[in-house]
Amino acid sequence: MIESYRLQPINFTPDTPKEFVLLSIIAQSFFQPFSLEDNLLVILTALTSGAGVGFNRAMLFLREGERLKATMWLGPRSPEEAQAIWTMLSSPGLGYAEVVEHNRELISRTQEKLKLQLKIFNYNLEDEKSILPALAAQRKEIILVKDAFSEPLLDRRFLDFLQVDSFLCLPLLAHNEIMGEIVVDNAITRAPISLKDIELASLCALLAGNYIYTTNLYKKVVEMEKMAALGEMAAFISHQLRNPIVAIGGFTQQLLTNPCNPERCHRNLGIIQEEIKHLEAIIYQLSHFLKIKIKELIPIEIGPILKKILERPDIKNKSEGKTISLRIMDNPPPILCDPVYFEEAIVNLLDNALDVTPAGGRVYVRAYSIRKNWLMILIKDSGPGLDDKAKEKLFSPFYTTKENGIGLGLLFVKRVMEMCSGKIEVQSKPGHGTIFKLYFKIPERRGI
Amino acid sequence: MKKILLVEDEKSLSLLYQEELSKEGYEVIIAYDADSAMEKVRSEEFDLIITDIRMPGKDGIELIASIMGLRKDIPIIINTAYQSYKDDFMTWAADAYITKSSSLDELKQTIKKLLKEN
Repeated sequence: MIESYRLQPINFTPDTPKEFVLLSIIAQSFFQPFSLEDNLLVILTALTSGAGVGFNRAMLFLREGERLKATMWLGPRSPEEAQAIWTMLSSPGLGYAEVVEHNRELISRTQEKLKLQLKIFNYNLEDEKSILPALAAQRKEIILVKDAFSEPLLDRRFLDFLQVDSFLCLPLLAHNEIMGEIVVDNAITRAPISLKDIELASLCALLAGNYIYTTNLYKKVVEMEKMAALGEMAAFISHQLRNPIVAIGGFTQQLLTNPCNPERCHRNLGIIQEEIKHLEAIIYQLSHFLKIKIKELIPIEIGPILKKILERPDIKNKSEGKTISLRIMDNPPPILCDPVYFEEAIVNLLDNALDVTPAGGRVYVRAYSIRKNWLMILIKDSGPGLDDKAKEKLFSPFYTTKENGIGLGLLFVKRVMEMCSGKIEVQSKPGHGTIFKLYFKIPERRGI
Repeated sequence: MKKILLVEDEKSLSLLYQEELSKEGYEVIIAYDADSAMEKVRSEEFDLIITDIRMPGKDGIELIASIMGLRKDIPIIINTAYQSYKDDFMTWAADAYITKSSSLDELKQTIKKLLKEN
């Protein structure tokens, strides 16, 4: 016998222990596709909501370089407002999404004014004579401030702003690095801060610190991936442009240095013109490849599109003296893709197939459903086939066997397939031609 | 007359190199890919080989490896649009590495040096 449970509890009852509610809300935030700001807001909420640890207000500082900057402050301004918020947040069945929504609204109402007020709380973490609140982050220690008005190690402006004589400073750390700080207080209820409060709050701080760390790391990885792609692209562009440029430069040099005969002049200018056309083609294909971005996948009927492709002048032209054999299953199910990119992907494959198929040869196009939920489109040529090494390089960018190709066609097809959650497979052996198989997921039919 | 094998798949570039190097007094034989280059190396004598790296079929690095397997005494120049292979260990077997440029001076000087005409 087996029993199944949800991964994260969503609903709480009034009996749910507050530690559990707190951890659940924070844990959920890690699974949601919300922004860093939203998730940090949730942690502040967990610290300040009646259902959470139970502080009244919380201020978040984030580290930027060597500075600690106040960035967010969450808390009611009067006991009445506090009561309304806490009642709302303590209502049973409240989920993460509601908490975020509520706080977003709260913050957006006060943000403009608050931003200006928070701006002055900006401390240098390198400062040797550091004072609170930054001192807690600098020392990497939780600091409980009592009798704040008589505490010398405290920024007076900060105290004037908080107007509270006791508050708790929680450094946000990850891998022993300072990520930020949270300051919580009980300005409305004036309740003393207990050891249990501090323990629970430190747990929140630990999670928040690591959450900020992971988010920063993720941003860095995305940035690095972008840079790597950019580097690859730059190497490719410089290579692609260099060949025609060298030819244009070299033949121009010949024209300049040799008083040439008209025939030679004409030939050189012809080559230069051809190379410029080549440059134009590169730029066109490049921008075409870079801009591929499918906005919306829509159900498309493959039959009419495949038939239309065979009627395209470029394909007709190329298939002269060769045969394209098309067979599509009866009533093929619609697939999810972008119709324009779908057509171009097929044209790309067909164009390749026709290129390698000798005169009198055949190219096969087939469409079947495979198992229940896949539709496969197969394109087979009668070319020389590929050895393992060539097969391996097939989808690497800028790999080409064509004189005027730039090696982006198959990569384009692959990207289109990825974007519509499909896949592409290649089967080939020297002497046996090459088969490309495109698998499209058949969308589930809803209703009748 | 010194005889050079030029392996270059770009038609207009190979024409340019052929004309320019002939002017310098070399006999230039062109191969458009690695396989036909290997055939020529097997059947003819060359004083120097110039090859691109990226070509349809076998690339220039594979070609150099095959040539080295056959005979080790012909100097080889890599002449490519890619700067990125310059520090690649794979290109160690070549005697010189030149990035293609519209000025052929560097190529011409390197040929002279390798053919010890300087």
